[in-house]
Amino acid sequence: MGRAVSATSDVTYLEAIRAAMRDAMADDDRVFLIGEDVGHFGGPFGVTSGLFDEFGPERVIDSPISEEGFVGACFGAAWMGERPIAELQFADFVTCPFDQIVTVGAKTHWRSGIALPVVIRLPTGGGVRGGPFHASSPEGWFVGVAGLKVVCPGTVDDAYGLLRSAIEDDDPVLYFEHKGLYRRLKAPAPEPSLRVPLGRARVARLGSDVTVVTYGSGVTLALEVAEKLSGSISIEVVDLRTIWPIDAATVLESVARTSRVIVLQEAARSIGAANTIVSLIAREGFSLLDAPVRVVAPPDTPVPYGANLEDAYLPSAAGLEEALEHLLAY
Amino acid sequence: MLTEPTAVVPCAEAPDVGDDVRRELFRCVLVHRLVEERTMALYRQGRIPGSVYTGRGQEAVGAGAGLALGPDDVCAPLNRELSCHIARGVSVAHVFRNYLGRATGPTFGRDGNMHFGVPEKGVFPLVSMLGDLVPVTVGAALAFKRRRQPRVALTFFGDGAFNCGDVHEGLNLAGTLEVPAVFVAQSNRVAYSTFSEKAMRNTNLAQRIEGGYSIPCSRVDGTDALAVYRIVGAAVERARAGEGPQAVEALTVRLDGHAAHDDARYMDPALLQEYGTKRDPVERLAARMIADGTSADDVAALREAAIAEVAAGLAEAEQAPLPDPGDLLDGVYATRLRTGWP
Repeated sequence: MGRAVSATSDVTYLEAIRAAMRDAMADDDRVFLIGEDVGHFGGPFGVTSGLFDEFGPERVIDSPISEEGFVGACFGAAWMGERPIAELQFADFVTCPFDQIVTVGAKTHWRSGIALPVVIRLPTGGGVRGGPFHASSPEGWFVGVAGLKVVCPGTVDDAYGLLRSAIEDDDPVLYFEHKGLYRRLKAPAPEPSLRVPLGRARVARLGSDVTVVTYGSGVTLALEVAEKLSGSISIEVVDLRTIWPIDAATVLESVARTSRVIVLQEAARSIGAANTIVSLIAREGFSLLDAPVRVVAPPDTPVPYGANLEDAYLPSAAGLEEALEHLLAY
Repeated sequence: MLTEPTAVVPCAEAPDVGDDVRRELFRCVLVHRLVEERTMALYRQGRIPGSVYTGRGQEAVGAGAGLALGPDDVCAPLNRELSCHIARGVSVAHVFRNYLGRATGPTFGRDGNMHFGVPEKGVFPLVSMLGDLVPVTVGAALAFKRRRQPRVALTFFGDGAFNCGDVHEGLNLAGTLEVPAVFVAQSNRVAYSTFSEKAMRNTNLAQRIEGGYSIPCSRVDGTDALAVYRIVGAAVERARAGEGPQAVEALTVRLDGHAAHDDARYMDPALLQEYGTKRDPVERLAARMIADGTSADDVAALREAAIAEVAAGLAEAEQAPLPDPGDLLDGVYATRLRTGWP
């Protein structure tokens, strides 16, 4: 779907995010970008690099260190018909504008009819030795919050297509982009027409023995393990893409095919989307199961800094394989 | 109303404020007063659930600021600024429909008391988290600046909310982005039950806003509707002219408790006496109008009209339907996603 022809036009996940912003800004003058150091500097990860030169200081706005301030300002601008994109330097910092997001962003349309089309971009995840304040996966705080939409792209196409869809959507969307995927994932450049619908999961790989439900960084990990074990186990991988609201239909259809489920996430095991998925399957898919649902996720601690600690903390191929083994023993 | 009307200090002389504006200011402050008398009574009768927040003694601030705005300007009033809604053209019936939880009210029965906005009147809905609407107002003003539109966004915050981070992030952002925003600080001396001098070392907000954020901030007697109207009007026009954010600190005293359940026993009785009589915003404006030649009969007729307006609004609101609990999921999203979520 939607591919440029030449292999030489491969882009990274990061470049796809930048291209989505650039194309959206070129198409629609209501779209502007605000965040800390997003202007002439190009953002701490370089995601906005070049946009300041192309669109100028009125479209790419350097904010003071003031997340509650500039996220709140995005909601005000959206009230007046703009379509702002706010960049947080790290997803961890979503604690700062949390109030604006859940108080103003989530509840305004329901109680007033005012739509607030704002995209908040949150560089998330570990593997970069960021430690407790620069490597978290805080998306779970927003799963279940009525009025918010939460997306977690796990591929280059989704990085582009989900962001374009998020910008065109009329609701506040939290867009969790994984820092570890920024330069690791490469694929042919998505076509500018590519849109990935919000609220729709994707069966990334068909299988018959077990379903791995995952999102974000878990997608690549699950696909790698599925390929490695393909001689002995047929693993289906469901990429949620949107983790709130959750595409329950796609998850339950997959459970019906395989009867065994692992939920894989990078967020600590008692937060994130995993428990919501487990709850869904317990409520609506109990009779489909041949074994208890397993969760593969880090322990309930902050993300540790030390290399050996973080490596042990994050989900791994070995951990996923071990969980598969347990599950298939049923 | 008053035991000794002669004790009232009339509003400042304001020959430049025409008769039409004075009459409209009087309607706004009086309707505000009368609506709140009704909501308090209805609350005590058990006909309004939840709570009731009043702005008695502060009616002039919302009225003056609301009328100082132009038709295309927007605002975000708070709990004590019912008169701002009235000034913006929000009907009394709409206010009561919100208090009574009616389906056709501004929040469809989903939120109560002063927690509402009216988008078609350019009024953003209040949230309880104080200070949040300061950055939101800055963002609306940023949109006006980007669009080169000669429009202004205005909001209020109290001396209580001035201790919240959002207010300061918003003021700083307004200054750095140089947006056409106007901030009206309601210094009513008390946050719930905590006096401002207990909550801040420097209670002079005008000094702090000017000194801390380089945003021009005048101080005005917040019980004088004419003075508020002129001072906020000048701030609005400076913002509209591209002079960046502006602020006004209105000095008032909250005459009721924080909400209906709070009898304000902690307040100084002498202060309440002074502000409830000599400095009553409604009677001060009436006294000025009469001193400047409006006949007492005319003022009495305005009072009768306001009483009738409030009674009619309440009667209309009581006829409005209650919301259907089955519709509760409607509008959670502007664009609903069909995900099969149970």
